Amino acid sequence: MDRFRPETFLPLGPVAFEILLALAEGEQHGYSIMREVERRSLGTIKVHPGSLYRALARLLESGLIEELDGRPDPEHDDERRRYYALTSRGLAVGRAEAARLEQQVDAARARRLLAPLPRSGAHGVPR
Amino acid sequence: MTRLLFHLALLAYPRSFRRRFGAEMWADLERARRGGSTSDVATTVGTLIVHGLAERWSALVRVLFWPDSQPHLYETPRRRIIMWDTFRSDVRHALRLAANAPLVTMLTVLALGLGIGATSAIATIVHGVVMSPLPYRDSDRLVMVWSDATRQGRPRNTLSPANYQDLRRMNGTLEGLEAYFSFVTPFEMVIDGPTEVAHGVTVTPGMFDLLGRAPFLGRALDVREETLEVLLSYGYWQRRFGGNPAVVGRTLQVDNNLATVVGVMPQDFTFPYGPMLGPSGFTRATSIDLWAAMHVTGPIAAANRMLTPQGEPVRSVHWLGAVGRMRPGTTVEHVQADLSTVARQLEQRYPDSNTGWGATVVPVMEQTIGTIRGPLYILLAGVFTVLLIAAANVANLVLARSIGRQKEYATRVALGAGRARLVRQTLTEGLVLASAGGVLGLLVAYAGVTVLVALAPADLPRLHDVAPGMTVVLITAGAAILTSMLVGLLPALSAARTHPQAALREHSRGAIGGAFRRRARAGLVIAEIALAVALTVAGGLLLRSFVSLLGTDPGFHSHNMLTWQMNLPDRLRSQDDRTAFYREFLDRMRSLPGVVSVGGTTRLPLGSTALSTFIEVDGSPRPEAEWPEVQFRRAIGDYFQTMGIPILAGRTFTDADGASATPVCVVNRTLASKLFPGEDPIGRRVRGSPTQPWLTIIGVIGDIRHGALDEPPLPELYVSHLQGQVVSPFMVLRTAGDATDWIALVRAEARAIDSTLPVYRIQTMESVRSESVAQRRFLLLLVGFFGALAMILAALGVYGTMSVLVSERTQEVGVRLALGASPAEVVRMLVLQAVRLAGVGALAGVALSLGTMPLLSSQLYGVQPRDPMMLTAVPAVLVLVAVLAAIVPARRAMRIDPTHALRGQ
Repeated sequence: MDRFRPETFLPLGPVAFEILLALAEGEQHGYSIMREVERRSLGTIKVHPGSLYRALARLLESGLIEELDGRPDPEHDDERRRYYALTSRGLAVGRAEAARLEQQVDAARARRLLAPLPRSGAHGVPR
Repeated sequence: MTRLLFHLALLAYPRSFRRRFGAEMWADLERARRGGSTSDVATTVGTLIVHGLAERWSALVRVLFWPDSQPHLYETPRRRIIMWDTFRSDVRHALRLAANAPLVTMLTVLALGLGIGATSAIATIVHGVVMSPLPYRDSDRLVMVWSDATRQGRPRNTLSPANYQDLRRMNGTLEGLEAYFSFVTPFEMVIDGPTEVAHGVTVTPGMFDLLGRAPFLGRALDVREETLEVLLSYGYWQRRFGGNPAVVGRTLQVDNNLATVVGVMPQDFTFPYGPMLGPSGFTRATSIDLWAAMHVTGPIAAANRMLTPQGEPVRSVHWLGAVGRMRPGTTVEHVQADLSTVARQLEQRYPDSNTGWGATVVPVMEQTIGTIRGPLYILLAGVFTVLLIAAANVANLVLARSIGRQKEYATRVALGAGRARLVRQTLTEGLVLASAGGVLGLLVAYAGVTVLVALAPADLPRLHDVAPGMTVVLITAGAAILTSMLVGLLPALSAARTHPQAALREHSRGAIGGAFRRRARAGLVIAEIALAVALTVAGGLLLRSFVSLLGTDPGFHSHNMLTWQMNLPDRLRSQDDRTAFYREFLDRMRSLPGVVSVGGTTRLPLGSTALSTFIEVDGSPRPEAEWPEVQFRRAIGDYFQTMGIPILAGRTFTDADGASATPVCVVNRTLASKLFPGEDPIGRRVRGSPTQPWLTIIGVIGDIRHGALDEPPLPELYVSHLQGQVVSPFMVLRTAGDATDWIALVRAEARAIDSTLPVYRIQTMESVRSESVAQRRFLLLLVGFFGALAMILAALGVYGTMSVLVSERTQEVGVRLALGASPAEVVRMLVLQAVRLAGVGALAGVALSLGTMPLLSSQLYGVQPRDPMMLTAVPAVLVLVAVLAAIVPARRAMRIDPTHALRGQ
């Protein structure tokens, strides 16, 4: 069998990356992933269930995430819910995608699309 | 409803995807909805469908271009994609058929497109007006609270300030109860130039909180002693202040008070809707420019006559509307029972003012759209009828086409093709036609909604907020799918009945296995004619109602007359100043070239609202609660003469009936005959309250239609403006020619008399009269248009069917001609067949219109719902149309060459 190569998954779709980001914090169900994305973007980005579950289907198929058997919190739970967690492959792909995005952000800085990082101590801006 | 939509939307996803994720998605959607998600249902459902179709079709597209590619897990599996292949070939087949007869295809798609589009446009409007929630939070918990004055024939009467405050304090079922002046007030505004008029409503400050809507800019109203606060509507803010946010905090002069602008409400916020306004008030304007805070104590409350001279809230004058929010879990019936109890307690505590006054609770939605729901459903029924007829026509066409392919079907069945395959092919044909119609229909629906909203009379509540959007797309898609089923069903059933042996038998004639198809075709024609008859009868009845309405004598002459409203300048405080102003104003207007006479009143017939009072008749003592109710107006200048209202007895007001003379009044014929039956009313005396002076009746004038042309005249009482105060009159001015030519002149003269005088709503009396029937005209135009369309489509249907029939019977006709039948006999035979079909259809149509009449009867005026003329003339006309449509193909049969036809065997 071929060695697993995370690069083959890049670039990752934005929704897929959001899912990996959300699951990097720990297992979650679909609705909480949507809420998490919304919260992190301060409400500016909303993931529609339609696009979320299509992305989940692809990630499950390629083994980047897996479905959990148990329910972390059976007390307050809807039995229709399923929890998803990141696999080691998913983690690797998430890292690769983050590194790729970092390169892009660096390129954007170099071309002055983004303000350069403040050097610590300069102008007394606390970081 | 929403649950159903979600379920349907999930059907867009491939089955395996739905099985794996459906429950989760469903749970999430539910959760988002409960969590008070702000996005509307249509957008959510639409996006859901788009994603579903993408998931469903992406594999299909990949397989098309890369035949080796494997579908993803949860996508449509390959095996099913192959079934799509059959579908594609069916579609190609249907497209080939369509391309072979471009003209027929074009007409078919056009008919379906118009039908689908018109139906979707009307359905979108019905959805927007009747079904979508009002722009308030949890609007289904909002109710209107009225006084129940059924004794005076008004179960939804306005409230008095004191009764409102008691109902608010003593009820146990409402979270809140807030009030508003049940009329639109023309406020005099000084913003940065001359005085202008803005239309506003005075509301209790808690109203916006109760409705659950916050201002878009600034804050909501507050009550401060001495100063007034106003909140602007989005439209007025854009129009008058150019959308400048700096207006918040500005101080304006409003009705001689200093008022602070505290905020701007959002664009979609409307309050109150026209039907929430009471019968009184100054103007019929229903678009609101601003809201002013209602004071219940203090000088502003006193100026608004909320308080008695003793400083108590007024209990016996009713002019407030009120909106309440039901506590969670309570129903309208609970609230009704609760408030009725409170009203009974008030009756016992204040018998003088409250005897006979109950409480009425109506859901806000019902109050808002209750009166236009009926007409809208009539329109929906009408346009759906047109769609049905169009679909029946197309079904007939598909059926006729399948005749030529009967042997093809039979051969294929004999060779082992499943019948299901044939049925699918026929259904696909219907789907292709309906889809093309749907695409065209979407354009028609978009344009239709825009045009209808633009053309609709301004006083239709909510209609002007309807905008074409996702809803139109969904409704059009639904209509197209329904149409494809209507179009494909009968032909599909017919295809399922293919009998290979019979069809393949040598020398078989045209009508193989055709009994079912013939019956189906006859049934379709009968249905078309029945529907067309019912719709045309409805259109005809509406037309006759409209004609008799226009023919109704309003009691005054509306031609060559100009009318406008104005507010007297504030510096004219005393009665003498105002009298002097009116004298000069009337004299100068009267001396303008071409002006015949000029006058004014406080309530313009057909163009304003009503104001009533209860009067005591001298010589027939009764308790105050039983005083008769009369409409109260004031007359200025030569009002009766200018309006052309006849003086039946006595005289009208003169300059001698001044402030110091005996108080006098003029009554109309209805009042005279109701209060003084068989007596001479001249010289009798009436008064409005025990503290007011008696008014001596000096004249009787003719009745006029005040509220609407179809409302019977009410008792009216007029007092001269010289013995009262009129500050915002409706003026009327009779001209020697077309009144439009005097508009500029009158405006200029008014400005010359006093530059600070706001003159507004200047228009001809003809247009006032025409606006009063605008709603009926709108309904009539649409139903009439649908009726005409239905008739044309039905005629086309008969023509098409007869054409097919004639070609089917070519050989039979040939034999008959060869055996010596005359061509005329052949034509008669064929036409009689059409007459039979049309006759049955017409009878069914009459039955249908009798059955659906209850829907229509509320919109009829001056004509019986079972009008014998309509019920005989319309079917007769349609039978005639059917005969004409049959003659054309029948004459073709006459020219059949017998030898040619027989050789065809």
